[in-house]
Amino acid sequence: MASKAQNKFQQDEQRRNADHVSFLKHRNWRWLKVAAILTVILSLGYALIDQEPRPNGGSWYGYTLGTIGLLLIVWLSLLGIRKRRPTPGSWSLKNWTSAHVWLGLSLTVIGTLHTGFQIGWNVHTLAYVLMLLVIVTGIYGIWAYATLPAGLSSNRKEMTRSDMIEALTAIDRQLESAAQPLDRQQSDLVIAALGQNVFYGGALGRLTGSYPGCATNRALKNMPMGRSGEEAEDRVTNLLTRRADQLGQIRRHLRIRALLEVWLFIHIPATIALLAALLAHVISVFYYW
Amino acid sequence: MAFLIRTVDHTSSGKEIVRDRTIPKTDVSIGRAAENDIHLPDLAVEQHHITVHSASDSSLSIEAVGTLGFSLDGKTETSAQIAPGAGGELEVGSSRLTIERAEDGVTLITITQVETESDRDILRGFALESALPSKRAMSWIFAGIVLVALLAIPVATHLFRTPVENDPKGETPGQVVFDSTWSTGELSMAHHSLEENCEACHATPFVSVQDTTCLTCHEEIDDHAEMPRQAKGMAPFSTGDAIQWSIAQTLGKEGPLGCVSCHTEHEGPVKLEAASEKFCADCHDALDTRLTDVDFTNASDFGEKHPQFRPAFYTAYGNDNPDRVSLANNPVEMSGLKFPHDIHMDEQGGAARMAISLGKYGAPLECSDCHEETDDRIGFKPVEMEASCESCHSLVSGRSGAGFTNLRHGDIDDLREDLMRLDRGPRRSIVNGRTRPGQFAQGGRYYSNFGRPVASYLSLTNALRPDGLCGECHLPTTTNGRADVMPVNLPDRFLHQGYFDHAAHEDESCTDCHAADTSKEAMDLLLPDVESCRDCHLGETAVKTEKIVPSGCAMCHGYHTPTMPWRPEDHQNESPANLIATLERIKR
Repeated sequence: MASKAQNKFQQDEQRRNADHVSFLKHRNWRWLKVAAILTVILSLGYALIDQEPRPNGGSWYGYTLGTIGLLLIVWLSLLGIRKRRPTPGSWSLKNWTSAHVWLGLSLTVIGTLHTGFQIGWNVHTLAYVLMLLVIVTGIYGIWAYATLPAGLSSNRKEMTRSDMIEALTAIDRQLESAAQPLDRQQSDLVIAALGQNVFYGGALGRLTGSYPGCATNRALKNMPMGRSGEEAEDRVTNLLTRRADQLGQIRRHLRIRALLEVWLFIHIPATIALLAALLAHVISVFYYW
Repeated sequence: MAFLIRTVDHTSSGKEIVRDRTIPKTDVSIGRAAENDIHLPDLAVEQHHITVHSASDSSLSIEAVGTLGFSLDGKTETSAQIAPGAGGELEVGSSRLTIERAEDGVTLITITQVETESDRDILRGFALESALPSKRAMSWIFAGIVLVALLAIPVATHLFRTPVENDPKGETPGQVVFDSTWSTGELSMAHHSLEENCEACHATPFVSVQDTTCLTCHEEIDDHAEMPRQAKGMAPFSTGDAIQWSIAQTLGKEGPLGCVSCHTEHEGPVKLEAASEKFCADCHDALDTRLTDVDFTNASDFGEKHPQFRPAFYTAYGNDNPDRVSLANNPVEMSGLKFPHDIHMDEQGGAARMAISLGKYGAPLECSDCHEETDDRIGFKPVEMEASCESCHSLVSGRSGAGFTNLRHGDIDDLREDLMRLDRGPRRSIVNGRTRPGQFAQGGRYYSNFGRPVASYLSLTNALRPDGLCGECHLPTTTNGRADVMPVNLPDRFLHQGYFDHAAHEDESCTDCHAADTSKEAMDLLLPDVESCRDCHLGETAVKTEKIVPSGCAMCHGYHTPTMPWRPEDHQNESPANLIATLERIKR
């Protein structure tokens, strides 16, 4: 009885610990080990098995590498389906993700050996390049997920996204009423600042954090600096500065998020294009056998 | 110091109702309890939630009474200051209190209800998704482009093309669109013109390139050996190769003896390379274990494992066909000729004296005086009596006008005829200036040669004797009861399964390899053996030095035509017409 309880405790403890282990280290680096062993064995095979007249995707070893690579690619790309169907168990999502990452990395070696280092402007190399693109963006993704969220958190200063928008809206409302006494030219600057979408700047602006067309900054630049004596102008300048600060926080948030998400916009379409290129690769090779 | 409280409500139709009241105090309490100065009937608000204190410098301090804070300008606070003259937005529960400064130090607080804006919609803007095309759309587009351009179009244009006959010149452009994107690499230089015409070789979908397709242009190519024997003689495959071949052949690929299994294509713009020593050794290293009935031994390395040469020549007088005998068996050539090379080559001897005295030579005899290279500089033309021997071994039989008459060489009947004519020639008259009269004179009806039978009348027999005229070089024999000479059997070519390039050895002297200067008999077979070749030529893996030439099999042997080695100059412009010319030259 006691030992049963002890077992249960240990199991629970294990589970609790496991919940806080990175998917990279899952099960004591299980998938890193699997991927490393696979890579070493296949590389040794490539080095030691003589392929006549030269290593080539069409030798028996080349077909073996190609088959392993194809199955891995198809399986690893199924993570996109698996993650949408939560089913706990030994094949947990963490397990899948761990396998996805480590086996995905091993594909750089398997795929390269399959090419026999023969590269050209053709559908076969297209598939290889797409595979590398997927892997490289995946590596970036892991780096991004490991490092960027901390910056996201520190930038927030305990504000939620709605808080940030809310704060900006509040400033805007005040700006609108504070700007009432301003002359036409200054009013137009304020109107432009207020009228510009919070998310103005597009993907490039988000990624670089550079917004050369920012109407708030333009308005600020054209408002008299320091105390002009005009109370209304000072108040508007003050509010515009606050607006710019608030926008700055939002944009830092946007930048980190964009850096955090951008790899998926290459990783996913490149994966689907890779599956299409693989199909074309396999069919064309045997069509023109 | 007073607060002007303005309450803005909306009717159900959206019309604004504005109510103002003034609280002449420095402190205003805000809460759900009715006794508050500003009463907010909202469950999210505490009974006593906030106190707003107006200081003497007209700055406002806002303090939360309880533990719940408030939101000032979007930030959640429990305590805040608003500078004199500045405003702010205070949010408590669902109410928004806009603080503004009116005239005379009055603070205007406008109370409105917060419109419950759809947060979700605006929050979507935070995701990068809102600034980029959707991943799904991009995936479909890219995959679609790949599948259409790189798969559907080539397949469709291949399936619906009108097949044309293969064009050996390779000038017919391909009909299949975009299939060059399927090419795994450039074609070899010989096939370069087919670069855009994939279907010339890849004729049928999912059927590998067939030998018959290759042979539509390369029709002159010979098999290395009979196919079943080649198959039997091949070295066993590795397990991997065996599995691959069995699968591939099940699916209709030509076997390991098919053209493409050696002539792999799409390896870049390369010239056809000579086969490596290993390529040959794969089968020939232990061939006798698989083909037990071959009459040649194993070979894998010229320096270490190569059989002795077995030239083909005539081993007995008058044989119809030459025999192949290994040089290891001290072979004797029975050509039917007498010819001591040493006498002819001795620079101090009689032959040399005679040659010096003759304008044609003017010097002691050299090999090339008799042995003339063929135009391709591979072999030698047959030695002809008239051109090479007759200057000294004269067949002059008499005078005729200004010159001499010769006995014809080569046919006993011609000789007999020439000798007869010789006998019937006019006798020298004994006395000058006198002739027989009338019909008895020379040319007359009754003319007769009354002289004794001249020696030459019998000289056919004499000539064919060992010490006679013919016997100088020939052996006498009897054919059908008549005197004759032994037929001369000298092969044009001794080594038929390999090849020797004399041009490549022009820096050597003939006697370095052919011991002609010491040969006393025509029976000596003056061919160098494999050991003497090994003075310079060792296997492909040998280390190249000033003397040693690493020599692969292809230096002397060809694959499809064993008598012709692989020569790069034959493959420079491998148009079929050129190839046919090459093959015809080989046949000659």
